[in-house]
Amino acid sequence: MLFRKLFRMLVLGGAAIGANAGCSAAQAQQAAEKKQDARAAADGGTGATQSSDGKADAGSGVQGW
Amino acid sequence: MTETQRRLVADAWAFRTRVEREAAARFIRLATEISRFDPHSPVPALMRRAAEDEHRHAALCAGLAAAYGTAATASANEVPIAPRALGARAAVLYEVVAACCITETESVATLTSLLAEEVDPGVEKVLRAIARDELVHGRMGWAHLARESAGYDVSFLSSWIPAMLSGSVEETLFSHLDATPEDPDLLRHGVLPPSQKRAIFARTLEEVVVPGLEQFGIDGSPARAWVCARIR
Repeated sequence: MLFRKLFRMLVLGGAAIGANAGCSAAQAQQAAEKKQDARAAADGGTGATQSSDGKADAGSGVQGW
Repeated sequence: MTETQRRLVADAWAFRTRVEREAAARFIRLATEISRFDPHSPVPALMRRAAEDEHRHAALCAGLAAAYGTAATASANEVPIAPRALGARAAVLYEVVAACCITETESVATLTSLLAEEVDPGVEKVLRAIARDELVHGRMGWAHLARESAGYDVSFLSSWIPAMLSGSVEETLFSHLDATPEDPDLLRHGVLPPSQKRAIFARTLEEVVVPGLEQFGIDGSPARAWVCARIR
């Protein structure tokens, strides 16, 4: 019950916040531009693939409570 | 309360002080970066407010650490955590998912679970003040992920989720090496016994974080495999 509630409040609540501010024409245009450069966004425009040559390249996480 | 219990509790609150200070610095940096490529997003403003919240939370946690006998003096050592292979925008998304969709979401579950226990009034006051804000902090991560996924394919994050998860907890939490005792007396001072902490972490991952990621087209299999390898 708790977890279902958390899903609703966090995931669905967050998605609503993100979507509600994205209805303008400017947003639509921005979304289209985002799609065009999605590949560049993912690899920094270098065509690089995920590196596994060291811990610094592997990514990490954020500690919490 | 024994001296060992007091020290464990003080250390936990001092650790949380550092976590809150680092979150404040991270949110300020991410707010600036998001504003550059998504000027209409509500997320940067939320993150700037969240940074103020985190400073306030740090003071509350430091107050409790001091009350239990430890000065929480560690300063924030916040560093970017995204893999170097990612481009700038993808790196921001990586960090937002790690910091908010995973860590803040897990923190909300931890705080909610602690508040369901019988805790000391001074501790309860701090937990309630923080829980209210952490909910918003988790939500802003899901808001950013929703916006990004509306514009491009974010499924590349799937293979990075295990790295995010590994960095979000001490690896000892899932092994017999965890030095924290299974002491239910610590609960009233705001510290979960390891078994309870593990259970909450895993359940939040399985029932909130992974379904949330899948909602935006990010395959949850690597995350499920990560937790299965540690819990079962």
